[in-house]
Amino acid sequence: MSDAMGRGEVAAADLPVAPGLVAGGEGGSGRPGRETLRLFVRNKAAVAGVVMLIGIAFMTVAGPRIYDNDPKDIVAIPLTGPGELAEARLGTDYLGRDVLAGVIGGGTTSMTVAAMAAAMVLVIGISIGALAGYYGGWLDSALMRFTEFFQVLPALLFAMVLVALFEPSMWTISFAIGVVAWPGIARITRAEFLRLKNLEFVRAARAVGATDWRIIRKVVFPNALPPLIVSATLIMGTAILFEAGLAFLGLGDPNTTSWGLMIGLNRGNFLTAWWSVTFPGLAIFFTVLSFSLIGDGLQDAYNPKLRGR
Amino acid sequence: MRTATTRGRQRSFGRLLVALLAVFALVAAACSSDDDSDEAAPASTAAADSGSDAGDDMDDGDMADDDMADDDMADDSGDMDDDMADDDMAAAACNHGQNVGGTLIIGSTQVPRHLNGTVQSGYATAVPGTQLNASPLLYDAEYNPMPYLAHDWDVADDGLSVTLHLVEDAVFHDGMPITSADVAFSIQTVQAHHPFKTMYAPVTNVDTPDDHTAVINLSQPHPAILLAMSPGLLPIIPKHIFDDGQEMPTHPRNSEDFVGSGPFRLTEYEPGTIIRMERFEDFFIEGTPCLDEIVMEITPESTAIVLGLENGTTHLSSTLGPSANVLRLMDNPDVEVSAKGHEAIGQINWLEMNVNDPALSDKRVRQAIAYAIDRDFLSEVIDQGITFPVPTGIAAASPFHNPNVNHYDKDIDRAKALLAEAGYGPGELQLSIDYIPPAFVVQAEYVQQQLEEAGIEVELSVSPDFPTWAQRVATGEYQMTINQVWNWGDPVIGVHRTYLCDNRVGVIWTNNTGYCNPDVDALLNAAGQEFDITERARLYAEFQEIVAEDMPIFFLNTPSFWQAYNPAVMNPPTNNIWGQMSPMHEVWLDE
Repeated sequence: MSDAMGRGEVAAADLPVAPGLVAGGEGGSGRPGRETLRLFVRNKAAVAGVVMLIGIAFMTVAGPRIYDNDPKDIVAIPLTGPGELAEARLGTDYLGRDVLAGVIGGGTTSMTVAAMAAAMVLVIGISIGALAGYYGGWLDSALMRFTEFFQVLPALLFAMVLVALFEPSMWTISFAIGVVAWPGIARITRAEFLRLKNLEFVRAARAVGATDWRIIRKVVFPNALPPLIVSATLIMGTAILFEAGLAFLGLGDPNTTSWGLMIGLNRGNFLTAWWSVTFPGLAIFFTVLSFSLIGDGLQDAYNPKLRGR
Repeated sequence: MRTATTRGRQRSFGRLLVALLAVFALVAAACSSDDDSDEAAPASTAAADSGSDAGDDMDDGDMADDDMADDDMADDSGDMDDDMADDDMAAAACNHGQNVGGTLIIGSTQVPRHLNGTVQSGYATAVPGTQLNASPLLYDAEYNPMPYLAHDWDVADDGLSVTLHLVEDAVFHDGMPITSADVAFSIQTVQAHHPFKTMYAPVTNVDTPDDHTAVINLSQPHPAILLAMSPGLLPIIPKHIFDDGQEMPTHPRNSEDFVGSGPFRLTEYEPGTIIRMERFEDFFIEGTPCLDEIVMEITPESTAIVLGLENGTTHLSSTLGPSANVLRLMDNPDVEVSAKGHEAIGQINWLEMNVNDPALSDKRVRQAIAYAIDRDFLSEVIDQGITFPVPTGIAAASPFHNPNVNHYDKDIDRAKALLAEAGYGPGELQLSIDYIPPAFVVQAEYVQQQLEEAGIEVELSVSPDFPTWAQRVATGEYQMTINQVWNWGDPVIGVHRTYLCDNRVGVIWTNNTGYCNPDVDALLNAAGQEFDITERARLYAEFQEIVAEDMPIFFLNTPSFWQAYNPAVMNPPTNNIWGQMSPMHEVWLDE
């Protein structure tokens, strides 16, 4: 007991963690946060992505309050075109539901599912990658074989199986996406941990007696963050596409409107009522695009080779 | 040493991986395979009322899922008036030889399991099967029996026997005469193996006093037996071929070296690809068949069929796929589209309610649900006129249909009042609808939306595949579901099974609502034994009124079997209640 206390005190007092490392990667510039921001802003496309995403986020959060049509209500004659009716500006679908209300309301579902899935991907991916990379040896082999198993499964098919096994709902869909999408993150995390674990500051931490758990959490992980942040952004985009793909294939949650569900349900009418498919399609397009652009911008911002230019 | 162990471990790891992958691949394949329809739509009725062939039913059903989708979509809003005019024009026969000739190309998405309709229900088998085999009776467009293999038939005064007088010069495709022994053998085979057990259940035995007289003895009067002798339901098969002790359902001659009794004989059969049938010169109806040949081209893609109809390479099809295809063909002046033919199938889409559910056991709740839904809007606006509203469980074309039951025209106030009486304020009642996409998405979503307008909260519950859904519905683990059930001509075959108290046997398409009303049972049992058609209609009329009042099922609409055909097709199969499940010996091509 006293032993553990002692080690804890030492670790708490003398851990050699440079605050700069946490926020700015290994750049070593005086104000890493601002440098990162400067590099990010220099990428015009990334800024456009941020603006787009803010717009989409505003639409999904505040939209339903401003435009209060329920996406599930039948408001007009089915399959009326956009602009023809005041109560359905973007036209109606095969049941007479307002497409605009669907696009606004569907965003909430798509974004929530994407966020939950991304969170799950990060938790699983980082845990497994960190353990494998830090400890190495048989644990590494076992965890990586496990990861490869998931990596070689056709992701969409596997997700379909999972959703079909349970009832399609926002939870099961997020779960399915989370379960199939984590191997990439796990491998990135492992690579970073492998690289970092033998660097001097990590050895120093070990030398002063910090526990493994503490080293992983406070020393290695913060330094492995930049590429993970980039991947996490891209995963949001992927998750939205996944959700749309599942819904398109009829495995969406039928009780909550989502963009993919709208496309899947309306695709039979695509030739006669393009608007019921096109607008949710555009919404997915811009959302995924914005995540991609932001991901690119972050990658630039964290790239040490671009520093100081 | 160590390396060897590691390698060994890796190898077994690899094997494990491969095995797991295979499992996943299988699961995935199973999940995505509901598209390869194996058996046609008609499967949906397979349940009949015996719990014994549950496996069979499931099998059938697997495809029915598909069928439902198809049927349900494959409807268009045919201009009925136009169609009638066309039919009148085409009514001329093939002039006994004058216009003989031509090869009729039929496009179909339905893959038959084999061609022997005595042991296999379903549209896929019946369409080629009725060309290859003749039956005792034919049916016209008004449910009237017409002579076919039986030139005459009488029902005994006590209703306990039916005597068939067979045509004398009829022969099988191998030249052997068709005799009463073949009829008796065919009836016994159907009785033993066909999934529709009610068709011949009361038959005790078949006497064959001479080669051309068959006397069917019944344990009780059974008027449905006349419809059960339709082409698709009682093909006459050769006893000298099949009575060899082999199992009928898997008999090799069900698809190879096929010897039939019908107007066409089989010349080529590639399962899932093509069925080629040539005119049988010795067919017993003089001057027919008119066509030289019928070729059924089978493709999984209804789009290919639509294109074939548009460019004239396909002459006839009833499997047109989604409604958009039907609507598109209707706009094409070079293709005729008709909702007629196939009336006897009588498919009905309906909202089924589990009357054992605590909330739904209250009749007022079920009636409130009925008042909240507008079936006319669903058919005319949402389905764009390709389905036809129907207020009862007996299809509109049937002589036993009663149009005067309570239609429950949409009345939200009344629905709310009934709910309030039953003790449910707005938002206080939560119900769920089970369904299988994509077949019933539109109906489920529409009903959900309408019920929410009446203050009932509805959750949609999607079953991933047919067996899951069928299991839930058959075992009563549901509140409401959208279902499609087929009449199959006579109510005894396709209607009774849904309502009889003792037909709650845990199989899909039996009594899945748990509904039980002794008055209904008495009426159905009486009607099932009543040969007098007026009295029978009266009994069924009363039955339909009681069901409308008790409301275990809210009937939505009939998705017609739309047929599209080239204008050159004369006497198209729109002129009888079985449509393409009837011999096309009088069809010809005016090219």
